[in-house]
Amino acid sequence: MDAFTAISSFLYQYADIVSILILSAVGLIIIFGMMGIINMAHGEMMMIGAYVTSFSYYAGVPTPLAVLLGGLAAALVGMILERLVVRRFYGQLLSSLVVTWGVSLILSQGALLAFGSLVRSVPTPFGSFAVGELSFSVYRVFLFLAGVAILLAVWALFRFTRFGLEARATMQDATMAHALGIDTARIYARVFGLGTGLAGLAGGLLALTSTIGPYYGQAYTTQAFITVVVGGGAELVSGLLASALSLGAVRTIATNQFNILLGQMAMLVFAFVVIRLMPDGISGWIARRRLRSGRR
Amino acid sequence: MDRVNTLLDRFLGPVNGPIEPARSMPFWIGFLLVLIGLVILPHYLSRYELLNFNNILSNIFLAMGLCLIWGFAGILSLGQAVFLGLGGYAYGIVGINLIETHGNTWLALAAGLSFPVFVAAALGWLMFYGRLTGVYVAILMLVVAMLIETFLNQTAGEQWFIGQAHLGGNNGLGRFSGVMRKPPSLTLGFGDALLVFKGSSLAFYYLVCGLGVVIYLGLRALINSGFGHVLVAIREDPERTEALGYDIRLIQLLVFCLAAFLAALSGVLYVSWGNFITPNVFGVFYNILPIIWVAVAGRRSLTCSVIGCVALVWLSQWLALQGDIAFVALGAILVAVMLLMPEGILIGVGERIGRLFVRLGIGRSSTGPGDG
Repeated sequence: MDAFTAISSFLYQYADIVSILILSAVGLIIIFGMMGIINMAHGEMMMIGAYVTSFSYYAGVPTPLAVLLGGLAAALVGMILERLVVRRFYGQLLSSLVVTWGVSLILSQGALLAFGSLVRSVPTPFGSFAVGELSFSVYRVFLFLAGVAILLAVWALFRFTRFGLEARATMQDATMAHALGIDTARIYARVFGLGTGLAGLAGGLLALTSTIGPYYGQAYTTQAFITVVVGGGAELVSGLLASALSLGAVRTIATNQFNILLGQMAMLVFAFVVIRLMPDGISGWIARRRLRSGRR
Repeated sequence: MDRVNTLLDRFLGPVNGPIEPARSMPFWIGFLLVLIGLVILPHYLSRYELLNFNNILSNIFLAMGLCLIWGFAGILSLGQAVFLGLGGYAYGIVGINLIETHGNTWLALAAGLSFPVFVAAALGWLMFYGRLTGVYVAILMLVVAMLIETFLNQTAGEQWFIGQAHLGGNNGLGRFSGVMRKPPSLTLGFGDALLVFKGSSLAFYYLVCGLGVVIYLGLRALINSGFGHVLVAIREDPERTEALGYDIRLIQLLVFCLAAFLAALSGVLYVSWGNFITPNVFGVFYNILPIIWVAVAGRRSLTCSVIGCVALVWLSQWLALQGDIAFVALGAILVAVMLLMPEGILIGVGERIGRLFVRLGIGRSSTGPGDG
């Protein structure tokens, strides 16, 4: 294997891991950043996205549309969940964690009862390309671009729209925003729906590369949690990006040097190091730097 | 009326403070009746029922530990079964290696109880001295649990021997013991005077009950002491507690280690009971179960946590016989209780009964400043 092939192989792995981290964590970190809640049913939202994608694909819907339907379904479930359950637990972070974990148990076990332990998986589109003697999946590269595109879209949504402005105001000071006439309850509901919708979308996108079952989403939640802990909730997009890029590097190197398991372990160790140095995650650190330079 | 209260204070003073809701005269009479019931109960149980009841009872230490850190100190750990699992594995590994040469399991017991405490001390130092708040601690503990599960699941190969103990991948320690060796039951005593605590034995039953009563009363005394009041103060307002001069990081670390010790005790008993342990104990289900027991029954009461643990383990076993609905039902119970009685069923019902007793003129109010 020549140097060029080796480098492109490494970059391909890195991009693959980073895209999985971004996709699986983006919905979680939006909800966490806005409300301080960790949605423990996040993996199940990804599962719902994957299930709906699979069902609509086999009902004859074209793949891109099927994935979008998966995202929409998860957004809908998320809005309902927010209205019925999560809303009662704003301001009680630990209780919200526990109650959403209960919801996650109901959803994953309910899916097991309703649809069995496996759902038909959707074929991976696009085929592959070759560099040197190695062949790579085009779809994996597409996933990386999709992750970046989703991040950009989220950034633009929060930066340029009225909803984004009101959401950022609510995030900074909910009481003040409410006093200024922003319907914060509606903002929370929409942000929660947005978060679960993105989880569903990610679930649909990643479903094209793997088998789908009731615990499909749980395979991604561990790394999503680590990504959120490292990123922190202060700056959504830049925090998530910095977190995914650094964790991806740690994991790619550790996986290449040792094995997949040690790659995951290395992410955890890295997370502990980061939170020991920056208790609010990378984004808390960025936010403080920005505040300081703004004052100057 | 007052004489009853003076009597209560004289005999139960150290364990009967305002932080634990269950403390009226009727409660203590009920407590005595339960004790008597526990002593005579096994004579009315079949061997299978005793075996099952022993399994259920060995979980109460895990529940009390979670109640202590979550209900009283405000530290939620979503991965509390980590310490149960580590305790079980440590006990099993040392036990397998030493049972032949030593004949007893004292060292295995010591290893099973101390190893998780060391791990808890390391994790706690990283988290509490890193000033991590609630959500982060909760999530990181779950992540640790998931990674240990992943690690142990891939230890099926020949190279994963620790002495004579084979880690066994997802079959676990001693599950398929054709060639491999099983973890021994607790074997305690000196010289030839040994007592083997087999899972289906009366000895195991009385050991667990005895430990349960002693630790329950001990923890009540602890939360009734100054230390317990500081724990509740940290839960209610960490900054103010720190401003009053308490090193909250150290106190959080200590109570976290104590909870890990209790979980480890459950783990040792579990392995001693069934002579096996698998990586499943680090999985989602084992970690969510203690949360369900404690949250459903009432997390701010040791008494409720113990009752919730016994009742819900029994219920989930019964549900498991009815088909695959066990976990859906448990999840539904958890969500319903969190929505309708956020403090837990037993606290909600207990407060109503307490008010009734007060109205009838017996016992004192069972609500107090510590109930929050």
